[in-house]
Amino acid sequence: MNTELSDKQRTGLIVGIVGIIIVCLCVIMALWGGKSVWDSLRKEKGGTTSSGRDSATAELTVAVSPGMAATFTKLAEQFNAHAYKTPDGSPMLVRVLPVVPEKMVAQSLANPPFQAIAPDSSLWLNQLDRRWIAAQSSTTEGEAGTIPIGNRRFGDPVRYAVSPVVIAAWESVARGLGWPERNIGWKDIQQKATADPTFKWNHPSTGHASGLLATLAEFYAGAGLTRGLTPEAATAQTTLDYVRAVEATVRFYGEGEDVIVQRLAEEGRGFLDAFVAQEQVVIAWNQTQPGERLVAIYPAEGTLWADHPLALLELGAPGETPITDNQRRTYQALVTFLTSPDVQRQLLAAGYRPAALDIRMDEAGSPFASSVAVDWRQPQTTLQIPSESVVEVVQNVWWYTKRPTNIYLVVDTSGSMEGSKIDLTRAALRSFVEQIRGDRDQVGLIAFASDVNVLRPLQPLDDAGRADLNRGIDQLQAKGNTSLIDGVWEAYTELTLRGTPEAINAIVVMTDGQENNSDHSLPELQRRIQREHGTSVVIFTIAFGSDADEKLLRSMAEMGGGQFRRATETDIEELYKIISTYF
Amino acid sequence: MERTRWVFIGILVVVILIVGVSLVVRAVTGKNTPDTELVLEKPKTITVRVLTALPIEPWVRSAAETYNASNPTLDGVPIKVEIIPMDGLTALGRWDRNDFGALAPEETIENLSEDRKTTLENFPTVWIPDSRYLVELANASYKERLGRDVFLTDGEYRARPIAISLFTWGIYESRANVLTQRFGEITWNAIHDAAVAKGGWPELGGNPAWGFFKLVVPNPNKNAGGLAAMVAAAGEYYGRTNISVADFTDPQFQTWLRELMGSVTDFSSASAYTAEDFALFGYSVGDGGQLLESDLLQNMQGILTRWDDPLKIYYPKYVTWFEFPYTIWVGPETSALEKNAALQFQRFLLSEEQQKAALAYGLRPTNPNVSLDATPESLFVKWKDRGVEMVVPRSDAMRNPDREVLLALLRWFQLNVAK
Repeated sequence: MNTELSDKQRTGLIVGIVGIIIVCLCVIMALWGGKSVWDSLRKEKGGTTSSGRDSATAELTVAVSPGMAATFTKLAEQFNAHAYKTPDGSPMLVRVLPVVPEKMVAQSLANPPFQAIAPDSSLWLNQLDRRWIAAQSSTTEGEAGTIPIGNRRFGDPVRYAVSPVVIAAWESVARGLGWPERNIGWKDIQQKATADPTFKWNHPSTGHASGLLATLAEFYAGAGLTRGLTPEAATAQTTLDYVRAVEATVRFYGEGEDVIVQRLAEEGRGFLDAFVAQEQVVIAWNQTQPGERLVAIYPAEGTLWADHPLALLELGAPGETPITDNQRRTYQALVTFLTSPDVQRQLLAAGYRPAALDIRMDEAGSPFASSVAVDWRQPQTTLQIPSESVVEVVQNVWWYTKRPTNIYLVVDTSGSMEGSKIDLTRAALRSFVEQIRGDRDQVGLIAFASDVNVLRPLQPLDDAGRADLNRGIDQLQAKGNTSLIDGVWEAYTELTLRGTPEAINAIVVMTDGQENNSDHSLPELQRRIQREHGTSVVIFTIAFGSDADEKLLRSMAEMGGGQFRRATETDIEELYKIISTYF
Repeated sequence: MERTRWVFIGILVVVILIVGVSLVVRAVTGKNTPDTELVLEKPKTITVRVLTALPIEPWVRSAAETYNASNPTLDGVPIKVEIIPMDGLTALGRWDRNDFGALAPEETIENLSEDRKTTLENFPTVWIPDSRYLVELANASYKERLGRDVFLTDGEYRARPIAISLFTWGIYESRANVLTQRFGEITWNAIHDAAVAKGGWPELGGNPAWGFFKLVVPNPNKNAGGLAAMVAAAGEYYGRTNISVADFTDPQFQTWLRELMGSVTDFSSASAYTAEDFALFGYSVGDGGQLLESDLLQNMQGILTRWDDPLKIYYPKYVTWFEFPYTIWVGPETSALEKNAALQFQRFLLSEEQQKAALAYGLRPTNPNVSLDATPESLFVKWKDRGVEMVVPRSDAMRNPDREVLLALLRWFQLNVAK
């Protein structure tokens, strides 16, 4: 038998072997490819690769103090318009959330709805520091040797603009006090306010840097000090008496400088003679408002800087969504943007002192160059910022020295309020009552529907009074027509009988509908308010929903020297809280 | 075809399949033989993360940018330097609490979970604190935990100073004139006497609008310079350079120090970077204080641009120096490649070119070949008329505080000033 292969057979054999080898290699390649797919699936499932965090959101929400919110929003829009992207292609986006600094601190402690904060002063960062460390202290107990540094809730802050807190006064008022020849101080304003009943001044509540500073200045003056304020000195009876006397001259408190300016624009020159605000407010007012200008008085005893820090929160505690790498990148890009020469010049044009030290305050086009209303060489000195614990004492003690308040909550309980509206109103009223903390404050409750019902007369908010008022709120039921004007009339009568001239007497009235059942008319109410000068009553009105009689409510607020506000089901509780800051 | 040939082909196919499948299976399961562990996989990039003290951060960042732009490599792998700014004291606190996640004695890189491995991706390769004493304190902390040093003091990876700066008095000129007229010399004792003057500046002979004398020193909770200032003050009070815990607990000294610190307007400032604040808020927050020379020089232009009064520099008798040691982490958390790349960047920082660049940031070079007036951009040349001196006129260098002194100082500050 011939065992030799023919050429054809040999070729076929070689081709066959090569073919089999190729098939084997293909199988191996396919398995290798499968491995890659397996790997990628494993990574996706585990989500633990270094790039895993990179693919997360690059959207950054910044809580900004209300006074800066408008400017910051404009700058955020400019930033967003640049359409910056992270290395993985995610769009960088900055959102602005206006939040009162005091509330910002409280929210920052646990799972806040923002990742970065921009309060008006570093004072709030210190409060956050202190409260965060206190909250963490239980976990570090027993580690006395540990170096107690660096365990912070936020990263290194950056300042993008600063502005000193000043006393903003009409030029004629300032000249009457001796400006610009004489150095005017906090004490001059306080003396003027106590000696002259027609002098109207105001400072924001201690939830804002300017309000806190004005209050600190009162405590310093009351204690006869300009530094070294201690809890003992702040709570001495003579200090408290002095602060109480000065606070009695404050026309009203409120949300902040932005609202004061808004009311000044609405009500004109006669609304206030002076108020405490950032220097920037003076510049912005003079840039936009005709008529007599405001001037900045830099208090002789010293002032405080609103230093506008911006800081990234180090979120990631149990139950919290941690900061993503992309959000850090957005934050860094925002910092770079805010401190860029162009933005720094925009901030200067808006009246702030830029953080960039190479920009001259008196350069051409600077609002400081052409005005004597502000002086970039000032302030010459600052008040000593007491330690955080003393600041807290001042904030707490202020509630007991501030001007007392008598408030009637006048609530619509007509049939249209039935359902979720009355439920939300009850919750909002309870929040309002919770915010009123002064030991001399009194609150009453009036419901109006087809009739007017004084559910609770004015009563002090001690523990028993607070519980009783909350029971009254829980009893509110929706039924009947809308006797809005009669409800306010009744509250006004009660306040003229039970109110006191040294207190802030106020009505906070809310309705969701149209007046349709009152015995009294709006002109009657107006005539009465004009006629009865004995006890001044401020009226705040709230239009709840789109069916409320806005025109009537506006008129009432105007005649009562208060404010008109709109509310929806989503913000009614917040609005009541905001109004509570006026008392 | 013969059967033997088919058998041969069959065996060949089976062998190829077995080898191929086993390779794939090993790759999927990750099970390797001990031999394959010796084959190191090269990374795509070597990242050198440098934890940098704030006073030198601008210079080191600028150097890193230049370095990265030169496309450096090590064994053919590109190097990228990342700068992480952090005050030395804050970093020390984080080392002390092991916030960076160094391995425990029983842990090894191989048996770490994926999550732990991910956290180590951000582990610092290098730490440049303000002073060598911070390195010693960090080492002491890790010695307790691991039984060994994590930053070396000798050998190839030892800590090397990369620039120097010292604490000097920076005082607004109008105020300095009044103080020198009254006290003759700017010393801690003169500053103390100004601080306790009940009548404030009018009593000292100054402008009533200036209010009380206001001292500026960094917050010791946020800036290593704050501790340095207190140590220097103690040195002058006792007239010596070595300060112990007993010195700090002496009631008379504590009263003196409390009075001195009582003239600081705002310790609450959130920033650790005091010289910048000094420039931003000017004489309104501080008439003068003891701050790092380089910080003052860097902010001098800003002060002149922003305020109506120039700043003047004076040199104290008892001096605290910061030497900014470049310190490479020697633990297993970073790879050998990363450590060697870190050494390469260290050599770059010590090069003549970069040491000259440091002059523009007011830092004194450690390279002896570079003089303080080596470049026209040198801030030592630019601010000569503001009192800066190339040769420090007289100095008794304060010795570095040990851990007990540091903790005693921080505790005293917390109880007596911060609260």
